[in-house]
Amino acid sequence: MKFSPTRRQLLKGGLAAAAGLAASGIPRPRSAGAAVGEPLCTVLDISKCIGCEQCAEACREQWQKTVPDPVKPMPQPFPSRVPIEDWSQKKDVSDRLTPYNWLYLEHLSLTHKGEEVEVNIPRRCMHCLNPPCVDLCPFGASRVEKNGIVRIDPDICLGGAKCRKVCPWHIPQRQSGLGIYLKLMPSYAGNGVMFKCHRCTPLVAQGKLPRCIEVCPQQVQSIGPRDQQVKKAVALAKQKAKADGAGEERWRDYVYGLFENGGTNTIYVSALPFREINRALKADRAQRAKESGIKDPRRAKRAALAGRPLMGPVADTMARVDNLTWALALAPVAGLAAGLSRLAAGKGGRKGGER
Amino acid sequence: MYHDRSHSGPVSHWLYGIAVGFALFTGFGQMPIYKRYYLTDIPGLGWAADFYTTAGLHYLAVALVLGLLAWRVGLYLRGVRKRWLWGPGTAWGWLLFALLAFSGLMKVLRNLGLYLPPSFIVTIDLVHMGSAMALMFTGLGVIISGRRRKAKDSAL
Repeated sequence: MKFSPTRRQLLKGGLAAAAGLAASGIPRPRSAGAAVGEPLCTVLDISKCIGCEQCAEACREQWQKTVPDPVKPMPQPFPSRVPIEDWSQKKDVSDRLTPYNWLYLEHLSLTHKGEEVEVNIPRRCMHCLNPPCVDLCPFGASRVEKNGIVRIDPDICLGGAKCRKVCPWHIPQRQSGLGIYLKLMPSYAGNGVMFKCHRCTPLVAQGKLPRCIEVCPQQVQSIGPRDQQVKKAVALAKQKAKADGAGEERWRDYVYGLFENGGTNTIYVSALPFREINRALKADRAQRAKESGIKDPRRAKRAALAGRPLMGPVADTMARVDNLTWALALAPVAGLAAGLSRLAAGKGGRKGGER
Repeated sequence: MYHDRSHSGPVSHWLYGIAVGFALFTGFGQMPIYKRYYLTDIPGLGWAADFYTTAGLHYLAVALVLGLLAWRVGLYLRGVRKRWLWGPGTAWGWLLFALLAFSGLMKVLRNLGLYLPPSFIVTIDLVHMGSAMALMFTGLGVIISGRRRKAKDSAL
């Protein structure tokens, strides 16, 4: 896989940084915080994960109580096809992302090179370098902190779920019946608040570790400055590729999150290629869809995928929109030039210009 | 300086109308309301449910509006004084465009990676949306009342 820095990164980093990027092929962080302090990045060596779920439990214990219970009865959204999403009676659901569960474990069983392999993967927000949930939120509720954390401000979010739709992994989850929309036009605009991992923003602000990292008995995750963590992830992926008999040059197959969506601050490293893991994830979703009892296959598939992100390739989703910045920059220049272009003719040719 | 007594031609008039209409449509489409209110169920409007498409088209429509307004400024600087049937014709209109341009520029820079404080982003988003709504209602008022056209007729 060949990586070329995007125009956005070139604009942001300047020519010197772009030269460095082109040389390394590694996406750089979007946040201007990078200039004053390196954003924090997590690396997850999932070959160490035993699936004990202590990370998910610690996350729930710490943050579930911060999600308020909704008002009852909830305002009925108009029109009626707008769904009320209420997880307040299902707070114990732990096999997918919900507004009350920001981290869950995938437990996969797959065959790799003729052997049965167990794979456990903690899943949560990827904390993208160029998050579409932030760029496309119409109210500024979703934001990137200087330390690279992507978080949603529950005091501003109206719960329109646009962030979930534009997120390549559809991570944020909605709880209806709470938030600022109740004070506006609860039936006609908004539908609750979106929730997702904020990588323990308040704890990190105090210099503490995120809970999922702190409690892990296997030290699956590590956190640190992005540059260091990227180097670590690449070295680890090379080791894994070599150990798997693929050769070091195939290391990109063993890493996930480093290049996806233009780069993220959550980098998974695995002992087997991620395309095999993704295949297993898809098979799991197909099985769930079959067992869901939903007759319409499309609805069944959607239900199986909801809150359970896959690990397929993801292009830089904002690149196409960001590239159009050139049109915005050039159009006024072109217009002005067109208006001025007959300057000489207008003055000389028209002799006074009246007509 | 010379005075061009002619009015702006139909091409720029229509281009401006289409571009502003499209910019407003795709801009308001950044709020998740079109699908909710069945607009995207109308044949031919399915694309309006895709936020990446509407964001890209918003950029392009705004580029066209900026190009046309810059053309007007260029003509003005050249000394051409026309009677424009389109675009801002009052201080209020220019103020709205200035607010839209500034807030839009901030949003574009944010999208390119410039860090802006969260409270500033929220303010900018509200200013952008508020001035777009004001522009829409002002434009509708001018069109419905036929004020611009009456001004033209009386001038002639």
